[in-house]
Amino acid sequence: MFAFIGFSLRRAWQGFWRNALMSLAATLTMVLMLLLLAGFFVLQNVLVASLSFVEQKVEVVAYVQNTATQDQIDGLIKQVRAMPEVASVTFVSREEALAKFRDMQAAQGRGDVTTTLDTNPLYASLNVKLRSPGDLPAVTAALGGSKIVRNVLNIQALVERVTTVTTIIRNAGAVILGIVGLIVLFIVVNTIRLAVLARAEEIEIMRLVGASDAFIRWPFIFEGGLVGLLGALITIGILAAAAQPASAAMAGFFNVLPLELGPVGRDTATLVLGTGLGLGVVGSWLSVRTYLIR
Amino acid sequence: MTQTATAPPTFLERLTGRRHAVRTSKDVVVLHGVTKRYPNGRVALRDVDLVVPEGDFVFLVGPSGAGKSTLMRLLIRDELASKGHVVVDGNDLSHLRRSDVPRIRRKIGVVFQDFKLLPRKTVRENVAFALEVTGTKRALVGPAVDRVLALVGLTGQANQLPNQLSGGEQQRTAIARALVHDPRLIIADEPTGNLDPVISWELIQLLLRINELGVTILMATHDAEVVTALRKRVVALEDGRVIRDETGATYHQAD
Repeated sequence: MFAFIGFSLRRAWQGFWRNALMSLAATLTMVLMLLLLAGFFVLQNVLVASLSFVEQKVEVVAYVQNTATQDQIDGLIKQVRAMPEVASVTFVSREEALAKFRDMQAAQGRGDVTTTLDTNPLYASLNVKLRSPGDLPAVTAALGGSKIVRNVLNIQALVERVTTVTTIIRNAGAVILGIVGLIVLFIVVNTIRLAVLARAEEIEIMRLVGASDAFIRWPFIFEGGLVGLLGALITIGILAAAAQPASAAMAGFFNVLPLELGPVGRDTATLVLGTGLGLGVVGSWLSVRTYLIR
Repeated sequence: MTQTATAPPTFLERLTGRRHAVRTSKDVVVLHGVTKRYPNGRVALRDVDLVVPEGDFVFLVGPSGAGKSTLMRLLIRDELASKGHVVVDGNDLSHLRRSDVPRIRRKIGVVFQDFKLLPRKTVRENVAFALEVTGTKRALVGPAVDRVLALVGLTGQANQLPNQLSGGEQQRTAIARALVHDPRLIIADEPTGNLDPVISWELIQLLLRINELGVTILMATHDAEVVTALRKRVVALEDGRVIRDETGATYHQAD
């Protein structure tokens, strides 16, 4: 068994270097395809992160009766916070609302009209951020059911429009990533098939001198794995070198985007390694198989 | 050491350093009622019967497309017979498990007109290749290769690449590779087809010597001079049928 594995590895290594040009071509094709795949994967992640950033902007505003006591308000905050759909709750008092209004007016360069009023006309409010915009009706209903809530701002139509758009973009991203994945699969498998085809005579001789299927197959599978592994490592190297400047540029461009590169980088490396190794092995398996079936 | 007194090791067994179970005299190849129809409908062999006893030297003659190559492909089980039985060294190939096919192929050495050597391997590596890919222990490979190279007279060219050799030397390398498994049968498909007459004769001499060592030889050829001169058994195929099977025969014009 060990002798067999040793034999296969030795043959794979020899095969790789004796056909250096073909191996290089296969490895470079692998690198290009993995870069393409990784690029689209990162893009898809950026897209998803941006979309959830947009969706997190959905906020339910419930205005509170002026007659409500602090205890009642605290109770409501506590109750809303306990809901699983709710991400965060902030209470804006009447005074804060007025101050915000004045700031906004000033920012737009308008005169302060509130000085002409003797009382504060604004209501205190609960600003509730949601985990997902789909939870809007449930949270709205819960807030509307409270006695101290005067009214809940109805943003259902707006939220639905935003959700429709983000869903379409998200699905389109997934579909494009899937198509790119298929293209990568075909090109890589085809490249390996060509590399195996170039050695059809060697396989034929092996069959003629009575080599068993395993002795023919496994060296090629190891060699395919070697091409995949090498391609994946080169790709990860290139991506790692490019990651710092790229994320700096992105942070400069979308300075609000809360994109964490850590997990995305790790996922990308896993994807590249798994795809490279997997395609190398599966590609060789399929390519050699056509010569073994008789 | 209990050597069987009645069956001393053959020259080839001494040569390759491997001792087989005592070989009983039997037929190496038996074809019975063999028909081969290809998927495209072409019938390459029709109801062929052929028995080749151990130690025979058989010329297989006939025009192109007569079924010579198909017959050889059936023997190495590259193809299966559509009807009838193909028996090699006691194994009915139509009932052979896929996993047993390599074992049968090791009993048969194949030599082609176009040599089929690996261009990036030296003579020694080409011959060793046949042992390595069949899982032979590495320590046994070197000595076995040296012995067959000595037998075919290529010891001096062992480290050359095929394109540095003459055609005759390339074909002798192919023969060495066919011999290295110590086969019962050598199948040669027009082995002299690419060689000039003098070199062809040298090669035939080599095959005769191997035959004298006890290896059965089945050789397809168009070389009338060789067939006529040697007076060996001649099996003539035409249109997929055996039309002549004579011992000590000549090459007929019709072949």
